[in-house]
Amino acid sequence: MKCTRCKQKAVVALPSHNAGFCPSCYLEYFKRQVEKAIKAQNMFSFEDKILVAISGGKDSLALTLQLKELGYNVSGLHIDLNIPESSAEVRKTVEDFCTLQSIPLYVLEMKKEGLSIPEVKKRLSRPICSACGQIKRYHFNLFAKEKGFTVLATGHNLDDEVARLFANTLRWDIDYLSDQGPVLKEEQGFVKKVKPLYRLTEFETANYAFLKGINYSYKPCPFSKGASFTFYKKLIASLEQEQPGRKLNFYETFLKQGQKPFKLAASRKNSPLNACSRCGYPTSGEICGVCRIKELLAC
Amino acid sequence: MKVILQPEEKEIILPKIKSVRALLNKLNLYPTQALIIRNGELLTPDEKIYPKDTIIVRQITSRG
Ligand code: SF4
Ligand SMILES: [Zn+2]
Ligand SMILES: [Zn+2]
Repeated sequence: MKCTRCKQKAVVALPSHNAGFCPSCYLEYFKRQVEKAIKAQNMFSFEDKILVAISGGKDSLALTLQLKELGYNVSGLHIDLNIPESSAEVRKTVEDFCTLQSIPLYVLEMKKEGLSIPEVKKRLSRPICSACGQIKRYHFNLFAKEKGFTVLATGHNLDDEVARLFANTLRWDIDYLSDQGPVLKEEQGFVKKVKPLYRLTEFETANYAFLKGINYSYKPCPFSKGASFTFYKKLIASLEQEQPGRKLNFYETFLKQGQKPFKLAASRKNSPLNACSRCGYPTSGEICGVCRIKELLAC
Repeated sequence: MKVILQPEEKEIILPKIKSVRALLNKLNLYPTQALIIRNGELLTPDEKIYPKDTIIVRQITSRG
């Protein structure tokens, strides 16, 4: 196979774009997709102070590196979950990466916050991943606000987004559908959130990470058994195989035609949030979810 | 040929496979579900592979 742009030997084939790329043209393609996402969705400018949520997987590291190489003002935040089988190794991967790339990195230790994830798992009856996700979102948001970051960027890719959209659509979940998209505006105490990799698949970020020589962690979390949307991702992979380009089209058409009506419907039915009486975090109840978890662990 | 499956780091020997596409089919993978690596280089599905090759099949899955 030859590179679609320069006719040299291709190393990445992308049926969804009916294209193949040599290493340097692939990196150019990847960069342009990220630039296009940032511009089309008005994500941020060179004046913004951007905080990247770095989990240590290929997506968050690829995102951090690409944003830095585009010249944006980026810092990383890693959350150490204190999971014995994985956290230390993952943290080291992130620290080494940021040192190598000269990217400022902050690390928040959940143990210090009284939220060691294995402890939370022991005490909580609901699935740990929902609590863990809530705890991470809470700290990313709070940290960004406290330190004066104007945008929080996460490494969610097209596969993550499509799987979520698919699941939300199967349930016609108005709240979730109204809230889904590559940009969540700053509002009611939440920092602006963006997903600059939303046009790129997991396969595409993996190729980028490989060609850039990024050493990422694929150590799985021991609690990730029923990891999010695995089954839907399989279904969608079969669909994409039959109809290359379907994923991106499904998602982009939602953004163009579906997102607004769902936002409108949700705003009619939901009341505004108030501040948590303990910590001030925006919540629909009196006490926010994370403060409730802390309370449970304290007793 | 020798095939190394990642992330499990499991080694298997597969005889009589002549292309990346055939290898992917054999392993029940779509081309966009794994990186196929030989001597540190990525291979597209149309590439030929040979009995003395060592091939890494790195499956792509997000961590939680
Ligand atoms: S798999 Fe679940 S528990 Fe593990 S890091 Fe992800 S969200 Fe947290
Ligand atoms: Zn090229
Ligand atoms: Zn609170």
